[in-house]
Amino acid sequence: MDLFLQNIVNALQWGSFYALIALGYSMVYSILMLFNFAHGDIFMVGAYIGFGIATALLGFAAMIGLPLPGWLILILTILFSMFFTSFVGMLIERIGYRPLREAPRASAAITGLMIGIILETGNLALLGARRLSFPALIESATYQFGGIFVTNKKILIVLVSLSLMYVLHLFIQKSKWGMAMRAMSFDFQAVPLMGVSINKIAPLTFAIGSALAAAAGILYGLAYPVLDPYMGVLLGWKAFVAAILGGRGSILGAALAGFLLGFIEIFVAWIFPSTLRDIIAYSIILLILTFRPHGFFGQAHSTQLRL
Amino acid sequence: MKRLLMVIVLGLIGAMVFSTNVWSLGRKTVIKIGINAPITGDIPKVGEGTKYAAQMWLADINKAGGIEVGGKKYPVELVIEDNEAKAESAVKANTKMITDDEVLFIVGPQSSKQAVPAGDVANNYETPMITPWSTNPDSTKDRPYVFRGCFLDPFQGPVLANFITEEFKFTKAAVLYDVASDYPKGLAEFFKQAWEKIHGAGSVVAFESFTTKDADFSSQLSKITKSGAQVLFTPQYYNEVALIVQQAHELGWKNPIVGSDSWGSAETVTLCGKDCYGQFFSTHYAAAGAKGETKAFIDRYQKEHGYVPDDVAALTWDSLRLVQKAIESSGKITGKIKKDRKAVRDALAKIKNFKGITGDMTFTEEGDPIKCAVIVRISDKGEYEFYKSVCPN
Amino acid sequence: METKQETPQRAYKNLLARYKAFSNRIPLLGWLCGGIGAVLIEYFLGDLVSYYLGLPKVPVLFGCLIMLKKPILIPGAVGYLLLVYGLPVFFIARALATPANKLAAFLAKGPITIAALVHLGLLYAILHIWTDMSDYRVLVLKLTMIAVMLTLSLNVINGYMGEFSCSHPGFMAIGAYTTSTITLWLFANDKLFGEALLPAAIGPFFFPLALIAGGLVAALGALVIAIPSFRTRGDYLAIISLAFLFIVKSIIENLEFVGGPRGMSSQPNYSNLPMVFIVMVLCIWIINNFVRSTLGKALCAVRDNELAAESMTVNTRKTKMVTFMFGAFWAGVAGGLFAHVLRYVNPGSFGIQRLAEILAMLYFGGLNSVTGSIVGAVSINLLSEALRPLEIFKWIIIPLLLILVMLYRPTGLIAFTEFKPKELMRSKE
Repeated sequence: MDLFLQNIVNALQWGSFYALIALGYSMVYSILMLFNFAHGDIFMVGAYIGFGIATALLGFAAMIGLPLPGWLILILTILFSMFFTSFVGMLIERIGYRPLREAPRASAAITGLMIGIILETGNLALLGARRLSFPALIESATYQFGGIFVTNKKILIVLVSLSLMYVLHLFIQKSKWGMAMRAMSFDFQAVPLMGVSINKIAPLTFAIGSALAAAAGILYGLAYPVLDPYMGVLLGWKAFVAAILGGRGSILGAALAGFLLGFIEIFVAWIFPSTLRDIIAYSIILLILTFRPHGFFGQAHSTQLRL
Repeated sequence: MKRLLMVIVLGLIGAMVFSTNVWSLGRKTVIKIGINAPITGDIPKVGEGTKYAAQMWLADINKAGGIEVGGKKYPVELVIEDNEAKAESAVKANTKMITDDEVLFIVGPQSSKQAVPAGDVANNYETPMITPWSTNPDSTKDRPYVFRGCFLDPFQGPVLANFITEEFKFTKAAVLYDVASDYPKGLAEFFKQAWEKIHGAGSVVAFESFTTKDADFSSQLSKITKSGAQVLFTPQYYNEVALIVQQAHELGWKNPIVGSDSWGSAETVTLCGKDCYGQFFSTHYAAAGAKGETKAFIDRYQKEHGYVPDDVAALTWDSLRLVQKAIESSGKITGKIKKDRKAVRDALAKIKNFKGITGDMTFTEEGDPIKCAVIVRISDKGEYEFYKSVCPN
Repeated sequence: METKQETPQRAYKNLLARYKAFSNRIPLLGWLCGGIGAVLIEYFLGDLVSYYLGLPKVPVLFGCLIMLKKPILIPGAVGYLLLVYGLPVFFIARALATPANKLAAFLAKGPITIAALVHLGLLYAILHIWTDMSDYRVLVLKLTMIAVMLTLSLNVINGYMGEFSCSHPGFMAIGAYTTSTITLWLFANDKLFGEALLPAAIGPFFFPLALIAGGLVAALGALVIAIPSFRTRGDYLAIISLAFLFIVKSIIENLEFVGGPRGMSSQPNYSNLPMVFIVMVLCIWIINNFVRSTLGKALCAVRDNELAAESMTVNTRKTKMVTFMFGAFWAGVAGGLFAHVLRYVNPGSFGIQRLAEILAMLYFGGLNSVTGSIVGAVSINLLSEALRPLEIFKWIIIPLLLILVMLYRPTGLIAFTEFKPKELMRSKE
């Protein structure tokens, strides 16, 4: 029983990363009908920007002799990193996606893939191959409830990601921009006729997705403090699976599917021999897709896609 | 006009073709040594140590004017290829160095994951290769052209099992290893065997695995924590060590964590921090308190690169010196690469009692040296303290 | 008064026109003869020429490696290229233009098979002599030909069928492991399967069967994806195939009898140059016929408008499944060859990175085009070998190039064209 509860805690943390990254994929996919294969690497860039900002803030605090509390630095790091990374996302949209809006969808996917490779290699060329150790901004504390161990980091990660998701939900549901996005995901062609320029919606979508990825990157750095240029690759592809599993046009679905993927991975590793994790986890996903081919919350979309 | 253009173009081509600086480069026999190292990828610090040690060695050779064979000095060139810490890239790099660069000798790859497959290529092409750091027996097994510079896992596994038994009097152990990598998998199995030989079947209470590139081990570590194990053995590379040790502590693990020679990188403590203080691991040499030539090497390395060399650098240095000695005693460099490779291989197999900075070396039939292991404790300052030395009987 | 002033542009245009007039008359046969002349010159005189040009040895890959490593040798390497390849090819091709044209006209009268065989024979002779110089060339050439097969078979799925499949490395892995298991088990003494069961002498003759077996098992694997994915149209193939890729990799990692994550090594050396060449030619020929067949036409109809195709009595689901398995078959065969070229396979070789590579080759060359796939695979493969001395910057330059191609030609360099061997081989007179 202890182990069960403990693994729920573990899976909540692990699923948060999948969910946050999957949201970015899902937004671009729902609204623009494109795969953004550079998204995993945007997550990496966000983590590195966060690293840079955190180090700079720590250095600045030490320089002026003012002991800034760790949580303040963390909040500033997350906000700044989200801000800067959203520009990276918009830049990618401008370079790689906007010129290809009329092209076959796969071409844009390939451009994204290649931008991702450039980001990885560029990072490697710029910073060298050495691993970076993400600064521990908050003192780690472990709480024990019965046989379950929970750290303050875990609570923080889950809370921050849940609240980010809630803010996104509010934005999509209540704001004018959110309404435009929903409309766009409903009918791609009609919305520009209504006076909402796609050249505004598309960058906004990329910016929001990238900001979420940046937040995920920093939280990831807190939990797994070893940064390397390829950290986003596998995580990104798996989050991509989660995003589509959630269903097209569903923000909630992507988040839930992200958590589901985390739960499946953690629990399979617990119940079965851990070597079988990937086989069983992805077979489950294959089965889900066989019986629910539109994902969890996806609407049945029209047969004619812009491929 | 047209004719003028023609003349200019032809003249330019002529000038390019017969320009003097090109002429001056004649053909000399150059001894090429291939270095197959993980410069990028998961364990770049290992690649860096390899590269630095090789460059220090090359500087020595250049100062002496080359390697002297049969009374004649030959210049030496290093061909450094990156294997990205991947098995398939190591195979490709070896094939490329052997067929394209025509190297005389290959030093590397370092970790068994790459050395086992890459050794096969070297052996198939009859090119001698020495892997300084690979401890898996398969690297050299049935491969006359492949040598190694360190002890083997069938020795290291029991050394660690005995050490834990004697030091802590524990009877239940847990193991966490990467199933997709030769070195951790092999060593985990040797450790399990040795431990169960001492404490009986079932005394390894948790034998958990993950795959390369995983970052979250919470599920496996939760299982281990609840299994009643008294010690956790994890033969992983330094980037994973940091994550495993920290996550174990976060999940309430309070017992010792023991590692193997793959922990011995200069970066383990930088990444892992306080969580690794007080843990033990086995390795090839202890930098603190070294004497003689070992100390000279450490001091020189530290002066040039700013940190204490890890075991990879020291073993690479020893391997290159061995290669140098083998080339020197091979008699003659003919310039026919296949013949020279065979001669150097035979010379290397004959070397007896080589005095290396990580211990004396004589090769067995399989091309493995018999060497001692050192148990090291990570001190409260993050330094590697010599704790104990274990030699094969 | 009219002056005949020659501006540089006009000179350039003139030169181009003259080159065109000059080369228009030469049939493919003539160029191939020129190629043979060039490689023969290199074979006999290459060493001498390179020595007098101050090069350390014969440039292996058209001097690219040397030029990037030591820029000082660029003039020498350029001179070498001109003396050994450029000029001889030109002059021999020109000199033999008339007889070559006659021969081409004569061959055109007979069945196309014979004409194709003559051309392929000459092409093989060029490659054979060229690779005789160094083992490295052999390796690069074999891997390039395998890349051509992979790209082409993915083009069938992603191009002609218009889906987005991510599972090609998985099919390749299945083929590689099946073929390796058969050859290691039957013909080699190794760690995994012990003594050879059959005499090694018959191995090379048996190898094609092993390749076909590998392809068939891969096609069977494709069925696992095809059944759930083609019930609806959409992007579900993308993730189902991606999940499949993860599953295949993980299954192989857990199969201890094929070496698990450590892989298999010491495959017998059956993938020699003629073998790979013949299989590649077969692959191009069969795929080209497939896409021009009725089924291929039906496929294009399904891609462009599934509903319309359905109402025109095309069984869309069956068409898609057959095509998908057909593509997977060739990926499996290519994987089998790949395993016997490197003589080592491990599950790690068939991951996301390989997927990115194949996708890059496909989209660079162009969708829906056999020629495009060949061009894409050869250029990306040779480029990534030639840029090796740049180390990691190679992986900035190649993606940048690909992005530029995508921006200016969104469907790839040579897309939506038909490959017509007859047209290619015709006489130019």
